Amino acid sequence: HRLSAEERDQLLPNLRAVGWNEVEGRDAIFKQFHFKDFNRAFGFMTRVALQAEKLDHHPEWFNVYNKVHITLSTHECAGLSERDINLASFIEQVSVSMA
Amino acid sequence: MVSKLSQLQMELLAALLESGLSKEALIQALGEPGPYLLAGDRPLDKGESCGGGRGELADLPNGLGETRGSEDETDDDGEDFTPPILKELETLSPEEAAHQKAVVETLLQEDPWRVAKMVKSYLQQHNIPQREVVDTTGLNQSHLSQHLNKGTPMKTQKRAALYTWYVRKQREVAQQFTHAGQGGLIEEPTGDELPTKKGRRNRFKWGPASQQILFQAYERQKNPSKEERETLVEECNRAECIQRGVSPSQAQGLGSNLVTEVRVYNWFANRRKEEAFRHKLAMDTYSGPPPGPGPGPTLPAHSSPGLPPPALSPSKVHGVRYGQPANSEAADVPSSSGGPLVTVSAPLHQVSPTGLEPSHSLLSTEAKLVSTAGGPLPPVSTLTALHSLEQTSPGLNQQPQNLIMASLPGVMTIGPGEPASLGPTFTNTGASTLVIGLASTQAQSVPVINSMGSSLTTLQPVQFSQPLHPSYQQPLMPPVQSHVAQSPFMATMAQLQSPHALYSHKPEVAQYTHTGLLPQTMLITDTTNLSALASLTPTKQVFTSDPEAAGESGLHTPASQATTLHVPNQDSAGIQHLQPTHRLSASPTVSSSSLVLYQSSDSTNGHSHLLPSNHSVIETFISTQMASSSQ
Repeated sequence: HRLSAEERDQLLPNLRAVGWNEVEGRDAIFKQFHFKDFNRAFGFMTRVALQAEKLDHHPEWFNVYNKVHITLSTHECAGLSERDINLASFIEQVSVSMA
Repeated sequence: MVSKLSQLQMELLAALLESGLSKEALIQALGEPGPYLLAGDRPLDKGESCGGGRGELADLPNGLGETRGSEDETDDDGEDFTPPILKELETLSPEEAAHQKAVVETLLQEDPWRVAKMVKSYLQQHNIPQREVVDTTGLNQSHLSQHLNKGTPMKTQKRAALYTWYVRKQREVAQQFTHAGQGGLIEEPTGDELPTKKGRRNRFKWGPASQQILFQAYERQKNPSKEERETLVEECNRAECIQRGVSPSQAQGLGSNLVTEVRVYNWFANRRKEEAFRHKLAMDTYSGPPPGPGPGPTLPAHSSPGLPPPALSPSKVHGVRYGQPANSEAADVPSSSGGPLVTVSAPLHQVSPTGLEPSHSLLSTEAKLVSTAGGPLPPVSTLTALHSLEQTSPGLNQQPQNLIMASLPGVMTIGPGEPASLGPTFTNTGASTLVIGLASTQAQSVPVINSMGSSLTTLQPVQFSQPLHPSYQQPLMPPVQSHVAQSPFMATMAQLQSPHALYSHKPEVAQYTHTGLLPQTMLITDTTNLSALASLTPTKQVFTSDPEAAGESGLHTPASQATTLHVPNQDSAGIQHLQPTHRLSASPTVSSSSLVLYQSSDSTNGHSHLLPSNHSVIETFISTQMASSSQ
């Protein structure tokens, strides 16, 4: 499951480029999203949630009004996995459309 | 907030749709009530569509907007079938929608009048304005009102809309109350469905239970402190919940009709203003209208400065004045409570011949008052029946007086019933009855008591303008001693008011003028009763005590225009003919009957709301009085 070093080198830069950061102390990626208002933030979260359900891979997240902090990590392998990358990509896609 | 919610809903729906959910699937998931999302399809079958004007859907990116556009038209049609406010999403499942329809079908099979009564009582119980029903069902307000109150027939489709609203509203309210603590009030259920229509919430309205509590508190103290107000808030909310059959802990479910400290504060402020206003009117009447040449000299005789009879009324009405006439009439006045009444009679006696003029002038003055509805701004709730009742007896909390007043009206009915004189103001009507009685006794300055009996017997068409005073005397006597409970008094007043209301349509004004004519009657001290009165149909009131009335003389109460209530001629033999005109058939019968009639006439006349429940008590009492006096 866990991403190998090579895979990380391949995939993470893309995510890093759009703002995903690696969390200190754990093998996870994190990003803060900022929306115009709560509606949009929650709409975004809803989309992500639906997708997460579909992928059966759920994020750790925090939301206050128009901010959403998302941390992605795979529990079963205690680190990053492909699912995180997938979800992160999807999240990026949605957040762009949400503006 | 509302717009944000809908926007969020839009967001969520968009998320749902974008997640791969097809419109059809979504619609099906929503259940039967919401098939407006079908792309390119308008399955808005007249038979079943839920108008569901979902504004938020209009903006959905997936092209639901157009659907909504067309929805609007269908919504109007759908109004006949389902209230547009209904949110399909609220119907949790198709089963619920089907269940609702089944209930509606059942109601449609029932006797429309019975169901109408159910719906009406529900509206009253929850203090729901008719406007809300009209807005959500698209029915005509007048038609709806007539259907619910009088049983005017309504077509099946429209009744279906009404019943559908009823069923849904019940659900809404139930949800409201269960979510009371959660603050999960759904805007639409309680208010208008469209955010743009008259704001969101219904206008707050005082319920009868709360008003009763407030009036009682008002009697104790006119200016409660914040703590006391808060106590009253709790009490009122508890009473309102109980009235609705809900646990008082769910007070939040009252929604727009929730009582708050601010509302209580405003209520007290308005009552105080009303009282001041009435006082002011009384003062004006007392000193304002110049008495005629005749009355001038006679006036001094009465010891009441200014207008003799008119003076009495204002004085009676206002505690301030009370002292003056009372003093003059001290001899005749039995007691403080009976004072006003007595005083009236006393001057009447004296002025019997001359008094007519003053009364006449007073009447005209009153009439003017009535027509002009007072110069100064009337207190806030002067338009309420209660208010009018209050006005009559602002300073007096003596029921006995009220009784007398009641009797007065009765007399009036007996009177000549000159439409002309009566027409302009109710005072006239009252006067007419009184006149009748007095007409016969005029010449003799007979003590009121005596005259009552005699006058009653000799009921003849008498000119109102003049005899007004004498007639007042009659009623004064017997009822003086009657200590009627507040309610009865109120009832009387209410009744008295009814005819007046018809004429002037201004309860407070009417009352005031009426006071002039019938000083005693106008005193309605018990405001609490007013509310009771208001809620009671006059006809019922009158009849309950009819049996008491000594011989119902076939006085035809001037059923008048108001006839809002079906007069249940239970016992009142005499009252049976509540006729639309205030022509009183001269019925030289017992004064009590006249009283009764009066009451009934009042009730029929006008403000149904004026009739108190305790009316029967008053009547009984009055009849007793009358009987004794006539002897």
